[in-house]
Amino acid sequence: MNKALYALLTILFITAAAFGFGSKKYGKPLTLKEKTKVSVILANPKNYVGKKVLVEGTIIAVCAKRGCWMELASDKPFQKIKVKVNDGEIVFPMEAKGKKALLEGEIYEISYTKEEAIEHAQHLAEE
Amino acid sequence: MVYWRKWLRILHRDIGYIAAGLTVIYAISGIAVNHVADWNPNYKIQNFESQIEPIADSLIGKEGLTQSILDQIGEKGKVKDVVYPDSSTMSIFVEDNTITVHLKTGLVEEEKVQSRTGIRETNFLHLNVPKKLWTWVADIFAVALLFLAISGLFMIKGKQGITGRGAWLTALGILIPVVFLIVYYYMD
Repeated sequence: MNKALYALLTILFITAAAFGFGSKKYGKPLTLKEKTKVSVILANPKNYVGKKVLVEGTIIAVCAKRGCWMELASDKPFQKIKVKVNDGEIVFPMEAKGKKALLEGEIYEISYTKEEAIEHAQHLAEE
Repeated sequence: MVYWRKWLRILHRDIGYIAAGLTVIYAISGIAVNHVADWNPNYKIQNFESQIEPIADSLIGKEGLTQSILDQIGEKGKVKDVVYPDSSTMSIFVEDNTITVHLKTGLVEEEKVQSRTGIRETNFLHLNVPKKLWTWVADIFAVALLFLAISGLFMIKGKQGITGRGAWLTALGILIPVVFLIVYYYMD
Protein backbone atom coordinates (compact mmCIF):
# COMPACT_ATOMS: atom_id res chain seq x y z
CA MET A 1 0.00 0.00 0.00
CA ASN A 2 1.47 3.37 -0.91
CA LYS A 3 2.04 6.00 1.74
CA ALA A 4 -0.68 8.40 0.58
CA LEU A 5 -3.37 5.73 0.81
CA TYR A 6 -2.06 4.48 4.12
CA ALA A 7 -2.16 7.99 5.56
CA LEU A 8 -5.74 8.35 4.42
CA LEU A 9 -6.66 5.26 6.38
CA THR A 10 -4.92 6.29 9.56
CA ILE A 11 -7.56 7.35 12.03
CA LEU A 12 -7.24 8.92 15.42
CA PHE A 13 -10.01 7.17 17.33
CA ILE A 14 -11.17 9.06 20.36
CA THR A 15 -12.58 6.73 22.98
CA ALA A 16 -11.85 7.54 26.59
CA ALA A 17 -10.33 10.85 25.65
CA ALA A 18 -10.98 14.52 25.34
CA PHE A 19 -10.51 17.44 23.08
CA GLY A 20 -10.83 21.16 23.40
CA PHE A 21 -10.83 24.21 21.22
CA GLY A 22 -10.94 27.71 22.51
CA SER A 23 -12.47 27.46 25.95
CA LYS A 24 -14.67 24.45 25.18
CA LYS A 25 -13.79 21.02 26.45
CA TYR A 26 -15.37 17.75 25.39
CA GLY A 27 -15.15 14.22 26.69
CA LYS A 28 -12.88 13.16 29.51
CA PRO A 29 -9.90 15.18 30.74
CA LEU A 30 -6.68 14.93 28.77
CA THR A 31 -4.10 12.66 30.33
CA LEU A 32 -1.07 13.13 28.07
CA LYS A 33 1.23 16.14 28.36
CA GLU A 34 3.55 15.63 25.40
CA LYS A 35 2.15 16.43 21.93
CA THR A 36 2.91 14.37 18.85
CA LYS A 37 2.99 16.18 15.50
CA VAL A 38 0.47 14.87 12.96
CA SER A 39 3.18 14.97 10.30
CA VAL A 40 5.34 12.68 12.42
CA ILE A 41 2.46 10.18 12.76
CA LEU A 42 1.71 10.28 9.04
CA ALA A 43 5.39 9.84 8.16
CA ASN A 44 5.39 6.46 9.83
CA PRO A 45 1.85 5.52 10.88
CA LYS A 46 2.60 1.86 11.59
CA ASN A 47 4.75 2.92 14.54
CA TYR A 48 1.74 4.60 16.14
CA VAL A 49 -1.05 2.07 15.54
CA GLY A 50 -2.55 1.14 18.91
CA LYS A 51 -0.80 3.98 20.71
CA LYS A 52 -2.42 6.88 22.52
CA VAL A 53 -1.32 10.32 21.30
CA LEU A 54 -2.00 13.98 21.98
CA VAL A 55 -2.21 16.03 18.77
CA GLU A 56 -2.92 19.64 17.90
CA GLY A 57 -4.16 21.21 14.70
CA THR A 58 -6.84 23.16 12.88
CA ILE A 59 -10.19 21.45 12.41
CA ILE A 60 -10.84 21.53 8.66
CA ALA A 61 -13.94 19.32 8.34
CA VAL A 62 -16.71 18.09 10.62
CA CYS A 63 -19.42 15.47 10.07
CA ALA A 64 -22.41 17.72 9.33
CA LYS A 65 -25.16 15.28 10.22
CA ARG A 66 -24.02 13.51 13.35
CA GLY A 67 -20.84 15.29 14.42
CA CYS A 68 -19.21 11.86 14.68
CA TRP A 69 -15.95 12.59 12.86
CA MET A 70 -13.72 15.47 11.94
CA GLU A 71 -10.51 16.09 10.06
CA LEU A 72 -7.52 17.79 11.58
CA ALA A 73 -4.95 19.61 9.46
CA SER A 74 -1.38 18.54 9.93
CA ASP A 75 1.40 20.88 10.99
CA LYS A 76 2.68 20.45 7.42
CA PRO A 77 0.72 21.55 4.32
CA PHE A 78 -1.30 19.07 2.26
CA GLN A 79 -1.73 16.60 5.14
CA LYS A 80 -4.65 15.79 7.41
CA ILE A 81 -5.76 13.11 9.83
CA LYS A 82 -9.22 11.75 10.43
CA VAL A 83 -10.65 11.82 13.95
CA LYS A 84 -13.51 9.51 14.89
CA VAL A 85 -15.59 8.88 17.98
CA ASN A 86 -18.17 6.25 18.79
CA ASP A 87 -21.43 7.78 17.55
CA GLY A 88 -22.94 9.94 20.26
CA GLU A 89 -19.98 9.74 22.64
CA ILE A 90 -18.83 13.21 21.65
CA VAL A 91 -20.69 15.36 19.11
CA PHE A 92 -18.36 17.67 17.22
CA PRO A 93 -20.12 20.98 16.46
CA MET A 94 -19.79 22.46 12.97
CA GLU A 95 -18.76 25.76 14.55
CA ALA A 96 -15.48 24.04 15.38
CA LYS A 97 -14.31 24.30 11.78
CA GLY A 98 -11.29 26.57 11.51
CA LYS A 99 -10.55 26.43 15.23
CA LYS A 100 -7.53 24.87 16.88
CA ALA A 101 -8.07 21.57 18.64
CA LEU A 102 -6.02 19.69 21.16
CA LEU A 103 -7.14 16.10 21.31
CA GLU A 104 -6.19 12.76 22.66
CA GLY A 105 -6.95 9.33 21.30
CA GLU A 106 -5.65 6.11 19.91
CA ILE A 107 -4.32 5.61 16.39
CA TYR A 108 -6.15 2.95 14.41
CA GLU A 109 -5.40 1.45 11.03
CA ILE A 110 -8.43 0.65 8.91
CA SER A 111 -7.92 -1.55 5.88
CA TYR A 112 -10.42 -1.49 3.04
CA THR A 113 -10.81 -3.49 -0.12
CA LYS A 114 -11.27 -1.33 -3.22
CA GLU A 115 -15.06 -1.86 -3.06
CA GLU A 116 -15.19 -1.00 0.64
CA ALA A 117 -13.14 2.15 0.05
CA ILE A 118 -15.58 3.28 -2.67
CA GLU A 119 -18.55 2.49 -0.44
CA HIS A 120 -16.97 4.42 2.45
CA ALA A 121 -16.27 7.43 0.21
CA GLN A 122 -19.88 7.40 -1.01
CA HIS A 123 -21.13 7.25 2.58
CA LEU A 124 -18.99 10.26 3.50
CA ALA A 125 -20.20 12.17 0.44
CA GLU A 126 -23.82 11.56 1.49
CA GLU A 127 -23.07 12.98 4.93
CA MET B 1 -64.52 4.15 42.53
CA VAL B 2 -61.86 1.74 43.69
CA TYR B 3 -59.42 3.47 46.06
CA TRP B 4 -56.27 2.50 44.12
CA ARG B 5 -57.76 3.83 40.88
CA LYS B 6 -58.25 7.24 42.49
CA TRP B 7 -54.55 7.40 43.37
CA LEU B 8 -53.58 6.09 39.96
CA ARG B 9 -55.47 8.95 38.37
CA ILE B 10 -53.89 11.52 40.68
CA LEU B 11 -50.39 10.21 39.95
CA HIS B 12 -51.09 9.94 36.21
CA ARG B 13 -52.35 13.51 36.15
CA ASP B 14 -49.47 15.07 38.11
CA ILE B 15 -46.68 13.06 36.50
CA GLY B 16 -48.32 13.87 33.15
CA TYR B 17 -48.07 17.59 33.91
CA ILE B 18 -44.39 17.27 34.80
CA ALA B 19 -43.64 15.15 31.74
CA ALA B 20 -45.45 17.45 29.29
CA GLY B 21 -42.51 19.79 28.64
CA LEU B 22 -40.02 16.97 28.18
CA THR B 23 -42.45 15.07 25.95
CA VAL B 24 -42.72 18.07 23.64
CA ILE B 25 -38.90 18.33 23.47
CA TYR B 26 -38.50 14.62 22.68
CA ALA B 27 -41.34 14.66 20.15
CA ILE B 28 -39.98 17.65 18.21
CA SER B 29 -36.47 16.22 18.18
CA GLY B 30 -37.83 12.75 17.37
CA ILE B 31 -39.40 14.03 14.16
CA ALA B 32 -36.28 16.07 13.35
CA VAL B 33 -33.79 13.20 13.68
CA ASN B 34 -36.20 10.68 12.15
CA HIS B 35 -35.60 12.40 8.81
CA VAL B 36 -31.83 12.76 9.13
CA ALA B 37 -31.41 11.10 5.73
CA ASP B 38 -33.31 13.95 4.08
CA TRP B 39 -32.19 17.00 5.99
CA ASN B 40 -29.74 18.19 8.60
CA PRO B 41 -31.63 18.46 11.92
CA ASN B 42 -29.04 20.74 13.55
CA TYR B 43 -27.81 23.09 10.85
CA LYS B 44 -29.04 24.94 7.81
CA ILE B 45 -26.22 24.60 5.29
CA GLN B 46 -26.15 26.75 2.16
CA ASN B 47 -23.64 26.25 -0.64
CA PHE B 48 -22.59 28.94 -3.07
CA GLU B 49 -20.16 29.02 -5.98
CA SER B 50 -18.38 31.98 -7.52
CA GLN B 51 -15.47 32.56 -9.84
CA ILE B 52 -12.32 34.60 -9.32
CA GLU B 53 -9.08 34.75 -11.25
CA PRO B 54 -6.92 31.62 -10.82
CA ILE B 55 -4.26 32.06 -8.13
CA ALA B 56 -0.68 32.13 -9.41
CA ASP B 57 1.70 29.72 -7.68
CA SER B 58 3.89 32.67 -6.65
CA LEU B 59 1.02 34.11 -4.55
CA ILE B 60 0.28 30.96 -2.58
CA GLY B 61 0.99 31.45 1.10
CA LYS B 62 1.74 35.17 0.63
CA GLU B 63 0.41 37.82 2.98
CA GLY B 64 -2.64 39.59 1.58
CA LEU B 65 -3.87 36.68 -0.57
CA THR B 66 -6.59 35.69 1.90
CA GLN B 67 -7.91 39.25 2.24
CA SER B 68 -7.82 39.71 -1.54
CA ILE B 69 -9.98 36.59 -2.03
CA LEU B 70 -12.39 37.65 0.72
CA ASP B 71 -12.72 41.10 -0.84
CA GLN B 72 -13.50 39.57 -4.24
CA ILE B 73 -16.34 37.42 -2.87
CA GLY B 74 -17.62 40.10 -0.49
CA GLU B 75 -16.97 38.18 2.72
CA LYS B 76 -16.39 40.48 5.69
CA GLY B 77 -16.28 37.93 8.53
CA LYS B 78 -13.35 37.43 10.84
CA VAL B 79 -10.83 34.86 9.58
CA LYS B 80 -10.29 31.97 12.02
CA ASP B 81 -7.60 30.16 10.07
CA VAL B 82 -6.28 29.38 6.59
CA VAL B 83 -5.24 25.86 5.61
CA TYR B 84 -3.93 24.24 2.42
CA PRO B 85 -5.45 20.73 2.56
CA ASP B 86 -3.77 19.80 -0.72
CA SER B 87 -1.54 21.43 -3.30
CA SER B 88 -4.41 22.83 -5.39
CA THR B 89 -6.86 23.87 -2.66
CA MET B 90 -6.96 26.64 -0.09
CA SER B 91 -9.49 26.61 2.76
CA ILE B 92 -10.37 29.86 4.49
CA PHE B 93 -12.36 29.52 7.70
CA VAL B 94 -14.52 32.50 8.55
CA GLU B 95 -17.18 32.63 11.28
CA ASP B 96 -20.08 30.47 9.98
CA ASN B 97 -18.52 30.18 6.51
CA THR B 98 -15.99 27.77 5.04
CA ILE B 99 -14.47 29.01 1.79
CA THR B 100 -12.74 26.53 -0.47
CA VAL B 101 -10.63 28.07 -3.23
CA HIS B 102 -9.56 25.89 -6.14
CA LEU B 103 -6.30 27.67 -6.83
CA LYS B 104 -5.74 26.54 -10.41
CA THR B 105 -9.25 27.29 -11.70
CA GLY B 106 -10.32 30.16 -9.44
CA LEU B 107 -13.55 28.39 -8.50
CA VAL B 108 -14.66 29.43 -5.02
CA GLU B 109 -17.08 27.30 -3.00
CA GLU B 110 -18.71 28.69 0.11
CA GLU B 111 -20.47 26.64 2.77
CA LYS B 112 -22.47 28.86 5.10
CA VAL B 113 -23.73 27.21 8.25
CA GLN B 114 -26.54 28.44 10.47
CA SER B 115 -27.68 26.68 13.60
CA ARG B 116 -31.35 25.61 13.61
CA THR B 117 -32.11 27.45 16.83
CA GLY B 118 -34.73 25.64 18.91
CA ILE B 119 -34.62 22.30 17.12
CA ARG B 120 -30.87 21.95 17.71
CA GLU B 121 -31.39 22.44 21.43
CA THR B 122 -34.09 19.74 21.52
CA ASN B 123 -31.71 17.38 19.67
CA PHE B 124 -28.97 18.24 22.16
CA LEU B 125 -31.15 16.99 25.01
CA HIS B 126 -32.93 14.16 23.17
CA LEU B 127 -29.66 12.60 21.97
CA ASN B 128 -28.10 13.04 25.43
CA VAL B 129 -25.17 15.09 24.21
CA PRO B 130 -24.63 16.73 27.64
CA LYS B 131 -24.35 13.33 29.42
CA LYS B 132 -23.62 13.92 33.17
CA LEU B 133 -26.75 14.58 35.28
CA TRP B 134 -28.95 14.80 32.19
CA THR B 135 -28.56 11.02 31.73
CA TRP B 136 -30.41 10.54 35.02
CA VAL B 137 -33.08 13.09 34.15
CA ALA B 138 -33.68 11.30 30.83
CA ASP B 139 -33.82 7.92 32.59
CA ILE B 140 -36.35 9.21 35.13
CA PHE B 141 -38.38 10.68 32.26
CA ALA B 142 -38.36 7.27 30.53
CA VAL B 143 -39.60 5.59 33.72
CA ALA B 144 -42.27 8.30 34.04
CA LEU B 145 -43.42 7.60 30.46
CA LEU B 146 -43.59 3.90 31.28
CA PHE B 147 -45.75 4.69 34.31
CA LEU B 148 -48.01 6.99 32.24
CA ALA B 149 -48.43 4.27 29.59
CA ILE B 150 -49.30 1.53 32.08
CA SER B 151 -51.38 3.66 34.43
CA GLY B 152 -53.26 5.03 31.43
CA LEU B 153 -54.55 1.52 30.72
CA PHE B 154 -56.32 1.33 34.06
CA MET B 155 -57.65 4.89 34.44
CA ILE B 156 -61.14 4.05 33.28
CA LYS B 157 -63.21 0.99 34.12
CA GLY B 158 -66.15 -0.48 32.28
CA LYS B 159 -66.88 -0.75 28.56
CA GLN B 160 -64.49 2.08 27.62
CA GLY B 161 -61.71 0.68 29.84
CA ILE B 162 -59.09 -2.00 29.43
CA THR B 163 -61.71 -4.76 29.69
CA GLY B 164 -63.70 -3.33 26.77
CA ARG B 165 -62.85 -0.93 23.93
CA GLY B 166 -59.50 -0.11 25.55
CA ALA B 167 -58.34 -3.71 25.10
CA TRP B 168 -58.89 -3.55 21.34
CA LEU B 169 -57.11 -0.21 20.98
CA THR B 170 -54.23 -1.39 23.17
CA ALA B 171 -53.93 -4.54 21.05
CA LEU B 172 -53.87 -2.38 17.91
CA GLY B 173 -51.09 -0.27 19.39
CA ILE B 174 -49.03 -3.40 20.09
CA LEU B 175 -49.83 -4.93 16.70
CA ILE B 176 -48.54 -1.95 14.68
CA PRO B 177 -44.85 -2.30 15.71
CA VAL B 178 -45.13 -6.11 15.59
CA VAL B 179 -46.29 -6.00 11.95
CA PHE B 180 -43.45 -3.62 11.01
CA LEU B 181 -40.94 -5.86 12.79
CA ILE B 182 -42.16 -8.91 10.89
CA VAL B 183 -42.05 -7.10 7.53
CA TYR B 184 -38.88 -5.02 7.91
CA TYR B 185 -36.80 -7.02 10.40
CA TYR B 186 -37.60 -10.70 9.94
CA MET B 187 -38.74 -10.84 6.30
CA ASP B 188 -36.55 -8.12 4.70
